[in-house]
Amino acid sequence: MKSAKFDHQRAASLDDALKALGNADGEARIMGGGQSLGPMMNLRLAQPDLLIDISRVGGLDGIEVSGDVIRVGARVTHARVEDGEVPGVTGAYMQTVASGISYRSVRNRGTIGGSVAHADPSADWPSALLALGGDVVIAGQDGERRMPLDDFQVGPFATGLGFEEILTGFELPALSDSAKCGYYKVNRKPGEFADAIGAVVIGVSPRVVCGATEAAPFRVSVAEEKLAAGATEISVADARDMIAVHEPGFDDYDLQIHAVALSRAVGRAFA
Amino acid sequence: MADGGTTEGKGIGARVLRKEDWRHLAGKAKFTGDFQRPGQKEMAFVRSEVAHARIVSVTKPAGFESSVFTAKDMPDMQPMRAPSKMPGYKGADYPALAIGKVRFVGEPVAVCIADTRAEAEDLAQATLVEFGELPAVVDMLAAKAGDAPLIHEDWGDNLVMETFADDDFGKIADRATVVVKREYRMARHAMNPMEGRAVFAEWDDRTDQLMMWTSTQVPHLIRTGLAQFLGLEQRQVRVIAPDVGGGFGCKALLQPEEVIAGWLTRHLEVPVRWIEDRREHLVTGANCREHHYFVTIHATPEGRILGLDCDVTIDAGAYSVYPFTNGLEGAMAHGNLPGPYDIEVYRCRTQTMTTNKPPLMPYRGVARPGVCYAMEMTIDALARDIGVEAHDIRTMSMVKQEQLPFMSIAKKHFDSGDYAKSVEMVVDMIGLDKIRSEQISANGEGRLVGVGMGSFVEQTAHGTSVFASWGVAMVPGYEQATVRLTPDGGLELRIGVQSHGQGMETSMAQMAYEVLGIDPSQVTVTHGDTGLTPYSTGTYASRSMVMAGGATARACRVLAERMEIIAAHLLQCERAEVTVRGGKIVSGKGEVSFAEIGRVWYLNPDELPDDVDQGGIEVTMGYRPEPDSGAFTYASHACKVAVDIDTGEVEVLDYAIVEDCGTMVNPMIVEGQTYGGATQGIGTALLEESTYDSFGNPGASTFADYMMPGATDAPHYRIDHMESPSPFTEYGIKGMGEGGTIPTPAAIGNAINDALKTIGAEVTETPFTPRRVRAAIAAANKNRQGDAA
Amino acid sequence: MTELTLKINGEDVTADVETRLSLADFIRDHRRLTGTHLGCEHGVCGACTVLMNGEPVRSCITFAVVADGTEITTIEGFEDDDPMTLLRQAFHENHALQCGYCTPGMLVAARDIVTRLPDADEDRVRLELAGNLCRCTGYVGIVNAILSVIEKRRL
Ligand SMILES: Cc1cc2nc3c(=O)[nH]c(=O)nc-3n(C[C@H](O)[C@H](O)[C@H](O)COP(=O)(O)OP(=O)(O)OC[C@H]3O[C@@H](n4cnc5c(N)ncnc54)[C@H](O)[C@@H]3O)c2cc1C
Ligand code: FES
Ligand code: FES
Repeated sequence: MKSAKFDHQRAASLDDALKALGNADGEARIMGGGQSLGPMMNLRLAQPDLLIDISRVGGLDGIEVSGDVIRVGARVTHARVEDGEVPGVTGAYMQTVASGISYRSVRNRGTIGGSVAHADPSADWPSALLALGGDVVIAGQDGERRMPLDDFQVGPFATGLGFEEILTGFELPALSDSAKCGYYKVNRKPGEFADAIGAVVIGVSPRVVCGATEAAPFRVSVAEEKLAAGATEISVADARDMIAVHEPGFDDYDLQIHAVALSRAVGRAFA
Repeated sequence: MADGGTTEGKGIGARVLRKEDWRHLAGKAKFTGDFQRPGQKEMAFVRSEVAHARIVSVTKPAGFESSVFTAKDMPDMQPMRAPSKMPGYKGADYPALAIGKVRFVGEPVAVCIADTRAEAEDLAQATLVEFGELPAVVDMLAAKAGDAPLIHEDWGDNLVMETFADDDFGKIADRATVVVKREYRMARHAMNPMEGRAVFAEWDDRTDQLMMWTSTQVPHLIRTGLAQFLGLEQRQVRVIAPDVGGGFGCKALLQPEEVIAGWLTRHLEVPVRWIEDRREHLVTGANCREHHYFVTIHATPEGRILGLDCDVTIDAGAYSVYPFTNGLEGAMAHGNLPGPYDIEVYRCRTQTMTTNKPPLMPYRGVARPGVCYAMEMTIDALARDIGVEAHDIRTMSMVKQEQLPFMSIAKKHFDSGDYAKSVEMVVDMIGLDKIRSEQISANGEGRLVGVGMGSFVEQTAHGTSVFASWGVAMVPGYEQATVRLTPDGGLELRIGVQSHGQGMETSMAQMAYEVLGIDPSQVTVTHGDTGLTPYSTGTYASRSMVMAGGATARACRVLAERMEIIAAHLLQCERAEVTVRGGKIVSGKGEVSFAEIGRVWYLNPDELPDDVDQGGIEVTMGYRPEPDSGAFTYASHACKVAVDIDTGEVEVLDYAIVEDCGTMVNPMIVEGQTYGGATQGIGTALLEESTYDSFGNPGASTFADYMMPGATDAPHYRIDHMESPSPFTEYGIKGMGEGGTIPTPAAIGNAINDALKTIGAEVTETPFTPRRVRAAIAAANKNRQGDAA
Repeated sequence: MTELTLKINGEDVTADVETRLSLADFIRDHRRLTGTHLGCEHGVCGACTVLMNGEPVRSCITFAVVADGTEITTIEGFEDDDPMTLLRQAFHENHALQCGYCTPGMLVAARDIVTRLPDADEDRVRLELAGNLCRCTGYVGIVNAILSVIEKRRL
């Protein structure tokens, strides 16, 4: 189980990395922590021609608060989030999420940017950040742009990121002390990818996400309306109805665990 | 006579810390994958991507034709053949590389060699195989259909073997008025030792020998098989198992990759190495446990079990494995279904079916986790039906202590113990009464708590007569051990079995201490090397401590006698006045050290007495218990689980074990083996499953899809021991390496069904995944609605 | 081929490696430090765990070229390390290993637990161990050994 051949280029700067992406023939991939690429390449499920290693690129690993926005660099590792480096209520929520991702020795290298760019529907950050809201910051050949998380992931392993673009970070809302957050992951074992995710953030307005489906995580509008109207709980039965609207293809078990995840995430938000 | 001397407590019964630990803790152990030679080639396989097909063509990558080999390139390599004398047995030869046809996904089609594994995999990826696909037989029950596709055309059907024993249920009809019937399935899974299989082979021109380091439990059998299928004489093959990272059965058989490595190194005259990766293991090693049961228990209204009626189907996969065959499991199921119960009538049919899946192999516990699960789950179903506690049914129906020794209805010769007492003890340990009152006060919402148990009796260290009755090609006989005093008074102990986690370098040294009183630190235990150790069929069937331990004791006793003769002469006293004790030879007239004996025999033979035993201070002795029908270990496990009825998730909250493996040589090791086995049982019960789609494609080829029990899945075990020595073995030792795995699926399944009893739901198929638990709940709800309507 | 300069167990190492070589294979096959084991090569089992700049990482899914400029510590490199000395003794005393294949990765992970989480209780230790599979022991001895070292370090 060894990777196929590839070229490796260590980018010294963002420009350098973008140039390499632009000039590459064949399939080029950015490597963040390599914790998804590594397994996929060992299994030869991914066989890129060129890996552009951004682990030495400066400026992508910062965590800064400015006003009501928290900027989190793409290269921030899950472990740093777990250790509480993101401040405030937002940070506490993200800490819970991060500590449930894989195992410490993977969290030490895996990055938040890599996870969102990879857009595995069963991964945590795509759902967790969608519930938080905010923007993805993207660098391209023609400079920087922002894209709301709401629009970013368009399907399983599919995002709004162009072939020659790099995800550089996130601008996330700095939640007020009165905000409420709940995250619930159904999985077979600690550290495993999710079978179902419920993510709830009640900041300025409630955002409720159902994740770990066959498609991109999605917001559950009926649930958001109910919470906006003052509800403090959503039963599993109600959650089933709410989710069934979005995912008519779910079998009974999948519908059930997604409903449980949603219901319990709401429960945790109000606990 | 030697009486050892246990003053320092390092002999039988002592918790001696393991001698083998330090090299592992330092990272200095040597596993097969750690071997490297200049010029070596790495092997990678082109494996079948379809379950059933004719091989139309194999196209080797241009320019690398001489680095890729198919069966056609190796005409002198024989398919592996494991004959059996079982009536009606149809064993399919297992070709190391597919010949003409492939019969499971993962079957080796070609082997590629290169300087690195990555390059060998490049070649494998570039080799194109054209398959002419055939319909696959994926399910063992579907394999029975008259119009099922044939896996081995010349058979005419897909039946490997059938066993059948009938009985007259009329004998009990008027007393056995309660009849419960259930259907169960146990899923196929993989053994997953953390070190996969691995081979390193080179030809040694100096000794004209094929040298093979391989991760195996049975080096001598590998040698015999290699010689046979490569057309060598056995003296031309030396097999060494260095450190082996777990086996659990899948390393107790000859593997295609071993045969191929032997062929390659012999013909190409380069060292070759193959290290199985986890995907290969999960795909080609999905080879155990898959059984299906219909069980009917006939009992009195009080729950005394009188009759048992079973139909068992075993999924044996595509080929028969060397040397144990794929018929073993059926024979074992037949003989073990009635468990420790004293029943009057027993009807059982086992049908072993061939399917387009990897060949079935004996996994720790071999068939018994399946039969115990089927039997014990049905007992609890009976208990629920008639409204009694299941443990009462067990104690009422088990063979009683005063009946032992006892010939069971399935012709198992039980030796010693008190089975019912293990039940009573474990019920006490788990706190049944407390759990019952907890259940009453719980409101049934959210998490439901349940308690369940499982009991078994396990034939261990069974010998010649038993294996001969199974008709397999390889029948174990007298197990041998060699002891040799070194010139400075240390002891070399050579055993033909192989230790891969069982701690035999320690426990066998404890055995030597028991007889000779020599400190275990002065004993070197050599195992796993056909060049250095006596022939042995190896480590399996919980036999090593009984057999090799017994042989060690005997060899040590003879050594003691020989040393006493020399010592008596040196002390100028009568033979009867000297005794080996505490690592010396003592007498009223003084004492002689082992080093002194070594010096005299090897370096100053002029000081030897005339009546010295000319065999010297090196002794090989054989040992076989009499009778060799096995020493019967037994245990009862009980557990408490919580079932999340919303998600179907099961958490094991508490787990209690009462076990009796006769005399314990090293209780620390006994406990470690039991915990490890039980955790594998938890894997079987809750997590592990090699799934297939309807075409026979495996669905769990990485640890992301195949769930292994981790530290959070394993409970905080509690254990208690009983110690009923076997009357038939040295020191009353019974085997115990496998037992931990046996009752766990039953105990957990029973606990889940106990939790779900208020809903009326039952799980009947392992692993009891959240999805299956939810499905059981949904089915029960539907039933209730149906009843109401 | 790419040039690689790093420190392994305190020793400066420069090597020319294929870019696709994993750090684990570099350590094992090129440096002959075979104490680091491979159990899955896809990040789940933890047998390959080593320290990179003092933090545990999976060497199987980390390419060697990525380790350029870092400091790697493998199981062979903890000679004078107090937590590791305690852990080794505790693993021995608690029968925390059988076949020993998972042991080097376990020890490296365990060292991270006892140093990073000095207050961990049994549940937390089990949770932190979720990324290290052992097929032999049922984790009993391993958990007990780690808890005993946490206890000792508290005194
Ligand atoms: C055993 C195991 C268990 C895991 N369990 C979980 C889990 O429970 N939950 C979970 O969420 N994740 C899990 N993961 C995945 C882990 O979180 C990864 O770290 C993460 O998904 C990818 O991050 P990375 O930085 O390692 O990305 P990489 O592997 O480096 O890259 C992943 C993909 O993203 C692209 N990419 C990376 N960075 C950028 C960038 N800045 N701009 C553009 N594209 C980029 C790459 O080209 C590649 O296609 C697990 C991983 C392992 C090995
Ligand atoms: S070998 Fe690296 S995690 Fe399994
Ligand atoms: S001791 Fe064998 S895998 Fe852990």
